Amino acid sequence: MVKFKNVVKAYENHVAVKNLNLEIPEGELVVLIGPSGCGKTTTLKMVNRLIEPTSGSIFIRDRNVKDLNPVALRREIGYVIQQIGLFPNMTIEQNIDVVPRLLGWPAEKRKRRVYELLEMVGMDPEIYAHRYPNELSGGQQQRIGVLRALAAEPPLILMDEPFGALDPIARESLQDELKNLHSRLNITTIFVTHDMDEALKLADRVVVMNQGEVVQVATPETLLRNPANDFVASFIGKNRLNGDSLQSVVEIMLPDPVTVHPQMGLAEGLALMKRKKVDTVLVVDEQRRLLGSVAVETLDREHKRARTIGEIMNQDPPLTTIRSQASAKEAFDLIIGEKLKYLPVLDENDVLVGLVTRNSMVSALASAVWGDVGE
Amino acid sequence: MLWRLRFGVMWVSDFIDFIRSNLDVAAVATYQHLYLSFGSVLLGMLIAVPLGIWLSDKERLAEKVLAVTGTIQTVPGLAFLGLFLPLLGLGVVPSMTVLFLYSLLPILTNTYTGIRGVNPAVVEAGIGMGMSPRQLLFMVKLPLAFPVIIAGIRIASVYIVSWATLAAFVGGGGLGDPILTGIMTADINFILMGAIPAALLALAAGWILGMVERLATPRGLRG
Repeated sequence: MVKFKNVVKAYENHVAVKNLNLEIPEGELVVLIGPSGCGKTTTLKMVNRLIEPTSGSIFIRDRNVKDLNPVALRREIGYVIQQIGLFPNMTIEQNIDVVPRLLGWPAEKRKRRVYELLEMVGMDPEIYAHRYPNELSGGQQQRIGVLRALAAEPPLILMDEPFGALDPIARESLQDELKNLHSRLNITTIFVTHDMDEALKLADRVVVMNQGEVVQVATPETLLRNPANDFVASFIGKNRLNGDSLQSVVEIMLPDPVTVHPQMGLAEGLALMKRKKVDTVLVVDEQRRLLGSVAVETLDREHKRARTIGEIMNQDPPLTTIRSQASAKEAFDLIIGEKLKYLPVLDENDVLVGLVTRNSMVSALASAVWGDVGE
Repeated sequence: MLWRLRFGVMWVSDFIDFIRSNLDVAAVATYQHLYLSFGSVLLGMLIAVPLGIWLSDKERLAEKVLAVTGTIQTVPGLAFLGLFLPLLGLGVVPSMTVLFLYSLLPILTNTYTGIRGVNPAVVEAGIGMGMSPRQLLFMVKLPLAFPVIIAGIRIASVYIVSWATLAAFVGGGGLGDPILTGIMTADINFILMGAIPAALLALAAGWILGMVERLATPRGLRG
């Protein structure tokens, strides 16, 4: 659909885009992302010729945009900008049907299209068609901004940080709506943002740019799993990488729980538990295979009757455990569902590799939500 | 106190009698005055509005042009008339020329700043959606700049209506005529016969154009 071939945009003092090669297939939603000044917006604006490349060519459906009349070209391409830019002197209806009007659609068809679009995003045309932009909230205004870009049924839409200026709630709902619209209409979309969450949420493919160059082109999943280099990884953010690996139970367990051997004396066990400030220890054999557990109360109660931990350890019923291949979610479900205080993690040979406690679970969740808490 | 009040009442009734007997003079002067001032504002509009639009994307040139019209504004009106005397002689032509030049600055400045003041996001949206420069001007820029342009015309009109009294000095007629007569004959009645209608005309022009300004403001831009 869109093809960038050796595209360069150089200004007097710096090069905004260095030799860009990129192909965007029909129907794909591509997100260009990168820090400010990485050339993402320049790249976008070269498609509808708001910016002319210094060298190289851009093709839309195999037509070189350079050979097309820019005004005619732009009418075939939907365009949404961050500052929304609705025409304040026009009603919502007039705003949406600007391009159809420029293209000379008959009035009847234009009206039908406006009503259809408004209904598509759940805005009652009877209420909104004749309002003015300043009578709408920011989120509603940008919803109209998106509809305006869709009005003439363009095969391609360019969106330049369209939701960047909205409040988080409006942003979220517009993202959902865009995703929805895109999956229904399948219009090729180039979307610029600096918000990684937005990119991961919306993109079929993410194009990470830095200093005028493409660093990585990948699906959101690949991007998270295999960032091409440190730049991409740091741009994705440590939190998100952690958040992603929350999928494995290994990431939320305490890797080195307090353990004792069955031969250990009770006094020694009690001293260890005091030192480590725990109320329960796991009992393992020489190969660190899990045998059972001992609570501090049992130790206290039985210290006259027994000599070693092996004699008093709790083996029946056997402890609920989880395999290290399991997902974090399974561990959460087990702990919450069975009201466990802790959940030992075993590898395939029943060797103890870690322990999930309510504490470790909460702190893993907290770091996924707020970033690395207390580290 | 009572004496002064009685004197005032007597004077007012004298003045009304005076106007009554000179009504034809007052009417002619007012007509000439309207003709002079609105003629020059109209001319000013015809030149300054298109010029302001044309200059709106030529910042450097615009600065120079605005500096020139700004300088014109600082020349005292009477001196200006004197300067044009050898060129254009006496009568309506030099009067209107000077008034026209004075009307340029407010209209030009407001047109220029009005168009420049249109939200760049709106302009970018218009261009990005495929409006030609002409469509952008007529569909977006002019409607949005219109209230500012009208405000410029209103300012110009109010000024010009009062400055048009100067035309009397070069035989251009208007409400300056009775004022000048009044000054030369030390007759306050004549001065007031020119000054009062001139002031009323200025007020009326300001009021009418203020209405137009409000009506011209797109609904979407009103508070």
